Amino acid sequence: MASLFFLFLLLLPFAILLLVLAAIVRPRPVRIPLKGRHVLVTGGSSGIGLALALRAAAEGARVTILARDPSRLQDARDAILLATGVDVTILAADVRDPEAVCRALEAADPVDVLVCSHGVFLPQELERQSLEEVRFMVEVNLMGTFHLIKASLPTMKQRAKESGLPASIAIVSSQAGQVGIYGYTAYSASKFGLRGLAEALQHEVIADNIHITLVFPPDTDTPGLAEGVDNCLYSDRCHTFPFPFLNAC
Amino acid sequence: MASLFFLFLLLLLPLVVVLLLLAVIVRPRPVRIPLKGRHVLVSGGSSGIGFALARRAAAEGARVSILARDPDRLRDACDAIRRDTGVDAAALAADVRDPAAVARALETVGPVDVLVCNQGVFVPQELERQSLEEVRFMVEVNLMGTFHLIKAALPAMKQRGKETGLPASIAIMSSQAGQVGVYGYTAYSATKFGLRGLAEALQHEVIMDNIHVTLIFPPDTDTPGLAEELKRRPEITNVIAASSGGMKADDVAQKALNGIKSAQFVVPCNFEGTMLSIATAGLSPQRSYLMAFNEVLGASLMRFIGLCFQWNWFSAIEKWHAKKKRK
Repeated sequence: MASLFFLFLLLLPFAILLLVLAAIVRPRPVRIPLKGRHVLVTGGSSGIGLALALRAAAEGARVTILARDPSRLQDARDAILLATGVDVTILAADVRDPEAVCRALEAADPVDVLVCSHGVFLPQELERQSLEEVRFMVEVNLMGTFHLIKASLPTMKQRAKESGLPASIAIVSSQAGQVGIYGYTAYSASKFGLRGLAEALQHEVIADNIHITLVFPPDTDTPGLAEGVDNCLYSDRCHTFPFPFLNAC
Repeated sequence: MASLFFLFLLLLLPLVVVLLLLAVIVRPRPVRIPLKGRHVLVSGGSSGIGFALARRAAAEGARVSILARDPDRLRDACDAIRRDTGVDAAALAADVRDPAAVARALETVGPVDVLVCNQGVFVPQELERQSLEEVRFMVEVNLMGTFHLIKAALPAMKQRGKETGLPASIAIMSSQAGQVGVYGYTAYSATKFGLRGLAEALQHEVIMDNIHVTLIFPPDTDTPGLAEELKRRPEITNVIAASSGGMKADDVAQKALNGIKSAQFVVPCNFEGTMLSIATAGLSPQRSYLMAFNEVLGASLMRFIGLCFQWNWFSAIEKWHAKKKRK
């Protein structure tokens, strides 16, 4: 009997901690419905973006994919149609160009779920990497995301107010956005940056019922990874995350 | 009596074991970076924290170069350094956004032993209301500017390190806003977080060249830069920023320089900063086994405190919006 009492005493602080956390965690949990809502996926013509678009379509969302290359967008649209029967809208724009992004988003309906999944990845020692490549990663991964959010926020807020439904801005970072490792100075810089952006942005848009999600994938089996690997002189340095390759789908 | 002693030992033993383990595994190994007679280059060195850093480095016997945009402010800064320390600092006028100008400037002063990337601009505003020009301005100066400086300085720095056999340093001025993103700082936090990703990866790449990376995380610091920022700051940001006390530029410079000399990877500048560093330690390297011990032991408490801060901040945001709605 006494030992039961001691067990209770041991568990009590944990129970108290749990209750305190249940009271203080912010923001509060929320579910973002997808069915019938407009999901826009950038970098949506290949890799993780394509897989995301496909899944969203399968769950009944109205999907738009944004990327640079019109023919790859067409192929992606065909693939999604084949797999899900859903016809997605395609938008050709380079995320580095804020005006092109604005025009593309204006042509589209207001977005309920913005998924910033575009990204480029060129690992190399900073000493040997050209500043053009550094700039390329910062422009696409970081500035591109700023462009997309700026362009979609106003109508997103309006839409959330009218529908009363929670909206979402999802940003695909990377495990390289959680720890910087050899060869990833520029890539990690851009992916860490997305986290700073996301933490601050959540404070700014929570009152508009917009919810931020940061995704941190490991090395993922995509055309993008193949590009990055080809760029490495020593390919074993690229497979630095000790996790098995994941299929993009 | 024996049983109490035994219990005490049993409690203490795991802590001692952890401490010994950490003493063995912490990487990179501790190192001291000498400053006397060595070349210290401070960007953004004509005012604020950079100027304070340059002056302190000069007082410690370093050969100092300061880099900034405005030649007049550079001259004033050099005069002040000469007046206070007797040392003649070299003045380099260049905009860190221009990689060619940075490369030319660094060529004129020769190899750098301690590169302090301290330049920074900060314009706080809700992203919805901020212009993309301002966002780009911060990314170009704070993040790309640092890439430009490091690219320009690295080759000669490595060569110099090989010749002298002395450890060199690349110090990067981040911010507490580079440890946690808060209302109004989407762009600024993006750049300051980015510097951390850069630094963690860079340390891996340059450790074999005896170059040591230091990240400094000051709070609000009493500088001309802050004065500019405060004019623009959203009300909510003021409420949140009050969670951490402000500091004087020279005190930040002292903490920064001490951190650089002991090749610390993460340099907090005040008590809140130290707590924040433990809460956001992540996988950053830690050379001090004692500090590592604090991080390992303090992690859960600091996470809990961090969650309390977010509770406080989100509540403040909620209240502010409710008040605005009533008006």
